Amino acid sequence: MAPVTLKSVRKAYGDAKVLHGVDIAIADGEFIVLVGPSGCGKSTLLRMIAGLEVITDGAVEIGGRVVNDLEPKDRDIAMVFQNYALYPHMTVATNMGFSLEHRGASKAEIAERVKWAAEILGLVPLLDRYPRQLSGGQRQRVAMGRAIVRNPQVFLFDEPLSNLDAKLRVVMRGEIKGLHQRLGVTTVYVTHDQVEAMTMADRIVVMNAGRVEQIGAPLDLYDRPANLFVAGFIGSPAMNLIGGEITEQGFVAAGVTLPLPSGTAARGKATYGIRPEHLILADDGVPATVTLVEPMGSETQVTMTLGEHRIIGVFRERLSARPGEIIHVRPDLAAIHLFDTETGARIG
Amino acid sequence: MKTDLSPRMKVALYGLMCVLLIPFVFPTWWMVTSSVKPISDIFAFPPDLWPRRFDFSTYAQVFELQPFARQYWNSAYIAALVTAGTMLISSMAGYAFARIKFPFSNAIFMVVLLGLLIPSEVTIVPLFQMFLKWGMINTHWPLILVPIFGAPSVFATFVMRQFFIALPVELEEAARVDGLGRFKIFWTIALPLAKPALGAVAIFTFLHSWNLYLEPIVFLSSTQMFTLPQALTQFTDAYGGAMWNIQLAAATMTAIPVLLVFIVAQKQFVEGLAHTGLKG
Repeated sequence: MAPVTLKSVRKAYGDAKVLHGVDIAIADGEFIVLVGPSGCGKSTLLRMIAGLEVITDGAVEIGGRVVNDLEPKDRDIAMVFQNYALYPHMTVATNMGFSLEHRGASKAEIAERVKWAAEILGLVPLLDRYPRQLSGGQRQRVAMGRAIVRNPQVFLFDEPLSNLDAKLRVVMRGEIKGLHQRLGVTTVYVTHDQVEAMTMADRIVVMNAGRVEQIGAPLDLYDRPANLFVAGFIGSPAMNLIGGEITEQGFVAAGVTLPLPSGTAARGKATYGIRPEHLILADDGVPATVTLVEPMGSETQVTMTLGEHRIIGVFRERLSARPGEIIHVRPDLAAIHLFDTETGARIG
Repeated sequence: MKTDLSPRMKVALYGLMCVLLIPFVFPTWWMVTSSVKPISDIFAFPPDLWPRRFDFSTYAQVFELQPFARQYWNSAYIAALVTAGTMLISSMAGYAFARIKFPFSNAIFMVVLLGLLIPSEVTIVPLFQMFLKWGMINTHWPLILVPIFGAPSVFATFVMRQFFIALPVELEEAARVDGLGRFKIFWTIALPLAKPALGAVAIFTFLHSWNLYLEPIVFLSSTQMFTLPQALTQFTDAYGGAMWNIQLAAATMTAIPVLLVFIVAQKQFVEGLAHTGLKG
C-alpha cells in the first residue's frame, strides 16, 4: 500500500496535447475512480502511472518516490487490462505466478501465493485450465488474481468490466470492491461508466478534455457538482439543465418561469439544474406536456416538455399519464443547482 | 461452415473434385510407378497405370551410382540449418519491424522488402565472386548463408511482421508490468504465440532449401558435396541420356521428406497462412 501523487502531469503526442496538467493526491489505501467521456485522457493518465506511457511533464509519485523514469516492473504496481491480457499459451496458475517467477521467487513461494489468490477469487478448480477454456467472468477473475498475487503497492484497473454483460458487470463490480475492502491496496480504476464510478469509488475524479473537472466523494459530486460538465455527466438519467435568466420573479427560461430558493442573490444569465428525481408531482407546480412514459417498476421515468425545454422526471408514483397529457411538476427548491452559463461554474 | 447438399449435388461435387485431382496426383503416381518399371516399360504406349513387371533394383542402383546417402544428408542438414536460422532471424526482424519504434523503420522495411524483387539469377555472379574470395566455393556455406540472409528470409520476415502486428499489444504491456524486458517479452510471450506463423515459415523455408537448384550447381563441384536436386541430374548413361527409372527412384526418395512435412504440418501450414492474412 502506498499513496499516489500526480503533480502537474502533462502528456503530449507531438503538438497534440492530451493532458493539460493534472494534480491528484490519492491517499494510502484509497479507491479512486477516474471517469470521463471517451478521449478525456483517463486511460492515458492511468498508463502514465503504470509506466506504459512516457510523462511529458510533471511528476508521478508512488509511496513518496518519483517514478517518472522507472520501468513498470520497478514501480510495484499491478494492472488489470480491459481485455484481460492473459497469456493464451499459459495455464491459469502459470499466468498468475508469472510475475513472481520473473522476480526470482522460489517455486514453493509461487505455489503458495497462487493458491492464496486462487482461494480468494474462487479460482482453485480452474488453475490448470487455459484462458480460452474460461468464461468472460472467469478470465476477469484470473486477471485480478494475477494482479493481487504479488502484493503490489497499487492496483490499476483500465475499464476492466467493459467486456462483460450487464449482469456479470454488477457481480464483478461487487467482487472488485470486496477485494479492495479485504486487501486495502491503493486502487486507481478507470471507467467511462458513471454508475461504476458512483458505486465503487471512495473518491471520483471527473475528467474532460485532458483536465480534471472535479474530485470528490461520489455523493458530493452528485449533490454539489462544481460545474455544468460534472452536473451533466454524473447521474443517470442526467440532470435537467435549462438555460435562462435569474430575475426577481424567479428563473425565466423560454416559455416557463421556474421557482428559485429564497435568498438567491445572483442575477443575470444562468443555467438551472434539477435532477429528475427532484421534480415533484404537485397541483400547484408548473405545467409540463408528457411525451414519453417509461415504467421501471420501482419508479416511473417521464420525458416531458416544460416551456420549450425537454426534461426528464423520475417519480416513485406509478403514473397513468399518456403522451400529450399535461402534468404539473414542482422542483424541490432545496435541490436546485445554478451555474454560470458562460463559465459553467457553480453559482448556487 | 456446414452446408447441406442433396445426394445428387454431392456426387457431382465429388466427381468434379476427382477430375481436378488428376493433374495433381498423376505426376506423382507416374513418378512412383515408373521408378519400379524396367526402362523399356516407362514410355510404353498406351501407358500402364500399374507396372506390368516390378523392378526394385533401381532403388539399390541409386546408391551404387552416386554417394546418394551422403547427398541426402547434405540436403537434410542444410535445409534444417536454413530453416532454423531463417526462423530465428525472421522472427526477430519481424518482431522489431512490428513492435519496436526506431527511426526510418518503415523505410528500412521497404528496402528489405525490395530484396524480394531481385531475381536470384541477378545476384548469383556477384555472390559467386564474394564466396570465391572468402574461400567458400565447393562448401555448403553459400547454400546456408544465402537463404538465411536472402529472399526467403525477407519473405519470412514479412510473414512474421504481419503476425506480430496483429498480436494484442496489451499482452506485451502486461508482460512489462510483470517484470519482463524486451527480449524476454519476445522470447517468452510473442514467440510461443507465433507458432502458427513460425510453422508456415518453417515449411516454406524447408521446401525452398530442399528444392534449391541454381545455387548448388554454381557453388558446388564435387559429387560428395552435391545436394539432391543437383544429384538427380547426374543419373545418366555414358552418352548423357537419362536413366529414367533410376532417376525416378531417386526422385521418389527425394520427395518423401516433403510429403511427410506436408502431411505432419498441414494444419499448422493452413493456420499460419490464415493468421498472416496470406493466400497460398
